[in-house]
Amino acid sequence: MQVAATPDNESARLAALYELLILDTPPEERFDKIAAFAAAEFDVPIATITLVDTDRQWFKAKVGTEVCETGRDVSFCSHAILDPGIMVIPDALQDPRFADNPLVTGAPHIRFYAGAPLTLPSAARLGTLCLIDRVPRTLDALELGILGTLRDLVVLELGKQKGRQDA
Amino acid sequence: MPEPTHILLVEPEPMLRRTVVMTARSMGMSQVHEAADNAAALRMLHARTYHGAVVAVGCVGSGAERRYDLGLVDQLRASVKAGQSMPIAIMADQATAQLLNELRDRQISRVILKPFRAKVLLETIEKFGELARKP
Repeated sequence: MQVAATPDNESARLAALYELLILDTPPEERFDKIAAFAAAEFDVPIATITLVDTDRQWFKAKVGTEVCETGRDVSFCSHAILDPGIMVIPDALQDPRFADNPLVTGAPHIRFYAGAPLTLPSAARLGTLCLIDRVPRTLDALELGILGTLRDLVVLELGKQKGRQDA
Repeated sequence: MPEPTHILLVEPEPMLRRTVVMTARSMGMSQVHEAADNAAALRMLHARTYHGAVVAVGCVGSGAERRYDLGLVDQLRASVKAGQSMPIAIMADQATAQLLNELRDRQISRVILKPFRAKVLLETIEKFGELARKP
């Protein structure tokens, strides 16, 4: 298993995340609706809005899992925030970075992963809107476009969160 | 550069509507004009020419009188600006025999059934755009 590198702007990224005062807050309908829509649109068993903290990834919204957080060392989303584009892993068992990841070899038995980074205007990538399936699959161009749009809706909501903290 | 095509989307669910509009824009597809209900759609119908429409239809009446409200479809067809030949897709909860019978005379290009997916709507919009661009 390959642990994700730390982003070059990690301190600024974490500062932007903490400034939102969103970590460990209760579920909110505005985020839950986006995660639920994503799960239904892509017909995946698991969809989450994930925020990557210092040593953990925490789920602001989740469909198909009761887990609230996992370690950052096993996190797919920690890899996804290293680049601005959507990261798609068609089959985790065929990817040396993830084949022996405990989230692949054990519950929730991830095979397919797609993570769209939540990028703020400051370029800080706080986490992802991600899709998980237990069978291999791919996304076509239109599906990538839809996932990108849903990600943009999450970022818009995070922008409102920042507005609330600034007010 | 070809003239942009314009598609009318009438859909009450905000998340689905916004996802379709924003994705169509980001992917350079037809320009999608969104209406949340029939009243808004009718106002928009008078404002410009559309090359196609995707319309969610709900039911009116109750019991044995319950039927799909196709009033907007009829008004789209009767509209001078929209014209008789504009492709129209409708979104319905289920395809009843009565609905299919009523659609027969209305030249409906496609019936989209639940669960409604943004991808299906976007594929329909793309197809309508291609039809409009054909010489």
